[in-house]
Formats: sequence, C-alpha cells, structure tokens
Amino acid sequence: MFQFLVDVLMRACDLMLVAIGMSAVYSLMKFPNIALVQYAATGGVLAIVLQKTGMPVVIAIAFAVLLTGLLAVILNEFLFNRMLKIGSSTAMIGSLAVSMIFSAGFLVTVGPSPSRFAMPLSRPVRILDARITEPQLLSFAIVAAAIGMFALLYFRTDLGRCMRATSTNEVLADATGINTARMKTIIVLISGVMAALGGVAIALKGEVDIQMGMDLLLPVFASAILGGLGNPFGAIAGALLISFAETAVTAVNFGPLLGQVVAFLPVAYASAISFLLLVAALLWRPRGLFVSEVKRV
Amino acid sequence: MSDFIVHVTIMSGLYALLALSLNLQAGFGGLMNFGQIGLFACGLYGAAIAFQFDLSAISGFAFAIVAAALLGWAFASVGRNLQADYWGIVTLALAEVIRIIATNEDWLTGGAQGIGGIRPFYFDLDSQTRQIAILFTVLALVLAAALLCRHLIGGRYGLSIKIMREEPQLAASLGYNTITLKRQLMAVSSVLAAISGFLFAHYISFAGPEQIDSSETFLIWAMIVVGGLGNNIGAIVGAFLLQFAFAFIPFVKDWIGLPTEYVAAGRLFLTGGGLIIFILWRQSGIVPERVGGGRYV
Amino acid sequence: MSEPVLTLEGIAKSFGANQILANVGFSIRPGEVIGLLGPNGCGKSTLLNLISGVFPADAGRVIFCREDITGLGMDRIARRGLVRTFQLPSMPRRMTVAELLYAASARKAGFRSLFRRETDEKAEIDGLLDDLALSHVRHLPAASLSGGQKKLLSIALVLRASPRMICLDEPTAGVHPNLRHHMIGLLQRIRASGITLLIIEHDMHFIRELCTRCVVMDRGAVIADCLPSQLTSNEQVVEAYLGNARQKRAMA
Repeated sequence: MFQFLVDVLMRACDLMLVAIGMSAVYSLMKFPNIALVQYAATGGVLAIVLQKTGMPVVIAIAFAVLLTGLLAVILNEFLFNRMLKIGSSTAMIGSLAVSMIFSAGFLVTVGPSPSRFAMPLSRPVRILDARITEPQLLSFAIVAAAIGMFALLYFRTDLGRCMRATSTNEVLADATGINTARMKTIIVLISGVMAALGGVAIALKGEVDIQMGMDLLLPVFASAILGGLGNPFGAIAGALLISFAETAVTAVNFGPLLGQVVAFLPVAYASAISFLLLVAALLWRPRGLFVSEVKRV
Repeated sequence: MSDFIVHVTIMSGLYALLALSLNLQAGFGGLMNFGQIGLFACGLYGAAIAFQFDLSAISGFAFAIVAAALLGWAFASVGRNLQADYWGIVTLALAEVIRIIATNEDWLTGGAQGIGGIRPFYFDLDSQTRQIAILFTVLALVLAAALLCRHLIGGRYGLSIKIMREEPQLAASLGYNTITLKRQLMAVSSVLAAISGFLFAHYISFAGPEQIDSSETFLIWAMIVVGGLGNNIGAIVGAFLLQFAFAFIPFVKDWIGLPTEYVAAGRLFLTGGGLIIFILWRQSGIVPERVGGGRYV
Repeated sequence: MSEPVLTLEGIAKSFGANQILANVGFSIRPGEVIGLLGPNGCGKSTLLNLISGVFPADAGRVIFCREDITGLGMDRIARRGLVRTFQLPSMPRRMTVAELLYAASARKAGFRSLFRRETDEKAEIDGLLDDLALSHVRHLPAASLSGGQKKLLSIALVLRASPRMICLDEPTAGVHPNLRHHMIGLLQRIRASGITLLIIEHDMHFIRELCTRCVVMDRGAVIADCLPSQLTSNEQVVEAYLGNARQKRAMA
C-alpha cells in the first residue's frame, strides 16, 4: 500500500515542476507553449553532459537549469512574442516547431540512446513496506525544495506579488505601475528554470532519452489544466491526481471482474488514462478543479 | 533512381490527400486539428484489420470510411465552446489514445509489430508495372480530391465555412449552426484522410503504430503552413515539397558524411525550421489563400 | 387587433449578485418600430441579448410569432426570422464585402447547396450595395471598412436572411452624419416592406423620425411605453435621464 503511495508521489514529482511552469506561463502568454516540455529535457540532458565534463553534479545542475531558463527567455523574446502578435494558434504551432528543433538538436548532440547521470550505486532504503532508492529521495528533495522556494517567492515577496498581479490581469497591473514587460521576462525565466529542474529530477531517477519532452507533454497539460491555468499550486494537485490515475489504473487487478486470477491493464494504458482525463477536464472543467483566476478557455 | 522517384511521388500523393484534408479543416475551417493522424489511422487499420481477419478489401474500405466519418464527427462535437488551441490539445490527446490502443491490442491490430503482408494494389501485375499503375491511381485521386475540395469551398457552402471560421457569432446571428458546419467539414475531410490511410496500407503492405505517431500530424501541419493555409494547390505543393526534401536528406547526409542520426534530425529540423520561417516571414505560405475574386464579386 | 410579433413576459436576468432585469414584459405588433430607450446600465442591451438568444433568461418567456423561443440559441432564433445587429460589429478579415453578402443567406448556403445549382443573386446584391453606398468597397476585406460602413453592412446582412423582425443595437452610435442619412433611408425602406423593428438608440432625432412607439427602461424595469412625442412630457422618463444629470452637477 505504501509502495503504491510512493509510486504515485514519484510519478507526481516527475510532472509537478514542469506543470507549475506550464501553468504559470500559459496563463500569462495565453497560448500553450509546447516547447516548455523540451526545456525539461534540456535541463536533464545538459546537466548530464556538464557532469560528464567533470563538473560536480550540483554545479552541473545549477548551470544547466540557469542556462535553460535563459534560453527560454531568449526564445520568448525573439520568437514567441512575435508569433503571439499574429495569433495564439500561430504561437502554438510555432512552439511545436521550436520543439521539433530541440528534438533535432538532441539527436545530433547526445544521440538517440538514453543518457544518465554518473551516480554512485546505492542500495534501496526500506520505509514501511516500500522500497525507495537514494536517487528517488534526492529527486523528491529537489522537487520539494523548488516548490518551497517558489512558494516563498510567489507569496512572500514583492516580486511575487507583482508576478501574481501580472498573471491575473496584465492591463490592470500595468496601470498600477508594475513593469509588466520585466515581470513577463521573469515569469518566463522562472518557468524555464522550473521545467529544467523538473527534467533534472526525472533524469536523476533513471535515464533521459530524447523522447522525454514529448512524452511529458500531455500529462503536464493535464496536470496544469486540472489545477487551473494561472494557479501554479493547483498544478501540484493536478499532478498528484494524474499520477494517481496513471498508477492506479495499471495497479488494479481486474481479474476478479473478468473471471480470471490476474488481469492487469498494460502499462502503456497509464498514459492513455491521463490523456482521457485531460479530455474530460477540458470538456467539463476547463477552468480547473479549483476555479482559477483565468477566465479564458 | 527512377524507381525511387516514383516511390517518392506516390508518397507525396498520399500525403497530399492528408494535406488537402487538414487544409479543409484548418485552412478553410479554422479548426486546429492535431489529431489528423488518428483519422488516417481509421483508413490504415481499416485495411489492415480487414486483411488480418480475411475480409474483403472493400469491407475494409467501408469500415474505414464509416469509422473516419464518425470519428471526425465526434472530434467536431467535442467541446462545442472550446477555444481553438484547447480543442487542438483534445484532438492530439484522442489521436494518441488511438495509437496506444493500436500498440497494445495485439489481437486486433498486431500490437507494436503491426500487421504485415497486406496484399498490395494491382497484385497481379509485375512490380514495375504495378508501381506505375499505383502512381497514376494516386495522382488521379489527388486530382479528384483537389476538385472535390474546390467544389466544397468554392461555392456558397465555402462562404458559410469561411464566415464560421472568421466570425462565429456573426454567423450564428445570421442563422448558421456552427457546430453542424464543423461536423460536416470534419466528417468529409476525415473520409479523405482515411482514404489516404487505406491506400497507404495497400501500398506499403504494412500497418503499424509508428505510422500514426503524433509527429506525423505535425508534419502534415508543416506541409499546409509552408504550402499555404487555405489554398488547395498550396496544400499539394507543401506535401510534394516536404516529401521530396525529406527523400533527399539521406543523400545529402552521405555526401557530407554525417552519421545516421542526422537523417531523422534533418527531417525534424526541416519541418520545424520551415514552419518557423513561414510563420514569421511568409505567413500566407507559398500559395496564399485567395480572398475575394472567384464567383462572388 | 393583429397578433403580436414579439411578446415578452416576466423576463428576469441576473449576473451573479447583479440583477440586471426584473419582470420586464411588453408586446410588439407587426410593422411597429419600437425605440428601446433608457440611461446607460438600464438593461437594454441585456434585454436585446436575451431576445436574440445570446444567453438565456433566468425567468420569463419570449414568444415570437406565436412560438415560444425562450432559451433557444441565436442561430435557431435567427432562422425563425428574428435577427439582430451588434453595437460593435466585428467583420471578417479574409472575406470581401461582396462575399459576406452572398454568405448572409444561411438558408441558401447550407450543405445542400453543394448539390443544387446556385440561384443568381447578383442583381439583389448589387442593389443592396448601391443602396448603402458600399459598391466602391465591395472587393475590400469586410474588416477594412469604417465603423459606420460596418454598421450599414450589418443591417444589409441581416436583411439577406429574410427576417420578419430586426433588432438593432445602437445603429447610429459612432456613425458619421453623412452615413446616418443613408441608414435612416434604409431603415425607412425596411419598415415600408413590413418588417418589424426594435431599435436601441440614444439619438432623439433618429427616434422621432423612425419610431412609432417608445419603450423606456430604467434599472431593469420598463418605466414608460408611449409615443415618441409623449416622451418629454413623461415625468418618470425625464427623471430617469435628467436625474443622472442632476447628480453629476451636484458632484461637480
């Protein structure tokens, strides 16, 4: 039972940071930025590559995450803002195109085979009836720390207040004297950093392949939308819900229902469930489970 | 070499059908369908499943058409008031669910291995003549499809579609049921996509889930954006241009002396790069949509 | 006494805690030109939106040509012959004026039109364009027209739907005086052809020239239903408008 909860939590951690980034930036930019999941992949891959060059893993992660954040800002400034002027649908297609170029980049730099961090081997820890590995604990710690720091920033600082104002109502925030252009840049930077950290958290637990970004796309959308776009902390709840559904659906033994001893759904159906939840969310609860401040759907 | 050119032309023709179909939806109708490959899958697997279960090709065709029309109708009915990019995400998710089912239901679809050995068209001809026969068949069908699209869009009905795309509230105030229009458009264009899938199965003699990956949808999007959104000739031009470009990437790679990853990367780079360039600098594509002129002056 | 074309009974509508309309009811007879007046915020536009099906009422009924159309969507109401224009008309960017006029007849442009031979409507479209002084812009994208031209165009568009009744939302607001003259002419011709009109307006001159009857609203209720000439002598009407002016002067 506890193992089940641990599995859910671990999967949720995979999604959480990227979903928070997605939620924050989607409500601000008013279009779904598909390239965001590639920022996650970039964070993971870059950190691994930097570690291979000899950097200590903590420094590698810090650099990777910051560089990815900067990349997010640059892409936003030179590409997405211009595309957004044409229309939000155009920006979505443009973000798709950028995401393709990321994939191409990964292929030629790290190649199609998966990469992993150079981590010392360790024995899994036993807590109650669950087995947790050290990388998993580390990953969880990173996610928790990131969320904590983001919460502090978002709710306890002036900067956070300005960010919230800009996300909620840009025109009004502008009118009250907030430098919305700078806020937008900061929010894009933070969402890029969060996504990259999310990628690092995934990379720490296992391996990273070039498909990682696109594989995250729909579950992250689902988490962000369920939590309500513009409500980054709702995305945490969204991620937990999606993760629970995915883990439960493949963990439940349908055997008794079908008159067999054991009958499990194939693992691939885990993602199918999250996709169906996404469709359901968009149809019946487009504003999220907890109504967010974003009205546009 | 000429065999190769014939093959690429046939593939271009098959993609042209898909591009014409998506162009009807997105270019004329303003429907951001990111699940186009799911409609193609109806045709592909309709043919394959009929073959698998020893049914006639005709029944496979009938099943494919009906399934596609129903699926397209369902796509249009989903989320009546959903904004364009959200609806795009829904269609993407639904197409991915179809792919997951195709990958896992071995008994029906052959699972990840797919279904092979499908009897090709004109199987009683020798392989040289067969290729030529298929070439002319496909090109004739592309011509027929282009004429059909022109009839659909060039007349009064085309005007209804355009007004639905541009100003849905105005359209409703003039008596148009926009949902009905969307359903009709999706049903017709879905059938076209399924025909492409059916032909594809009987040409390649193989149907597998990797052929219905979402990246295929993105490729078709690139074709219509580059070729010219809202222009039938543009859709065909885009399809042929990108297919021929893709076909020559391996040659370029060999000539420069790059490793194999560069083929896939080259395709991604071309698709993504082409999209970005055309979005930013030639939004109307190679062959722009015609506004005015025609019969209604 | 002929059957009313439109009857409203007990219409109520709130948005959250704001009650915009409370127990609004009146009838319109065929061929009338009703001026719907009232100070800003009295609920005129909301009432128009309710009648035309933009959103449903919380309570009450709307009966059009003996049929209960309460709660129906805008397209179904339009198809039954009750159409409307918008205060700020939004026109397509990728359709010309001429194309838009051709498209305006929904009945003739549905799926079935693919299988039928098209009727020649050029003469009718040309006539409309001439009437509205829009012939010289027929090839331009509809969105490139001036605000006043768009308003004229929107009246032409609803005419093409062969309506029995047209509701107009502030047709002269923001329209150049030169075009206003065209609009009055057009509406007089429409009235002469037997179509019933309901017009939200503030321009008194316009109201006196066109309207056969005035319904005045204030704060979600009908406070007067009289002839245009009787407006200025109606105390409640005067207070509803000037009362605001008095408050404004008091605050200055």
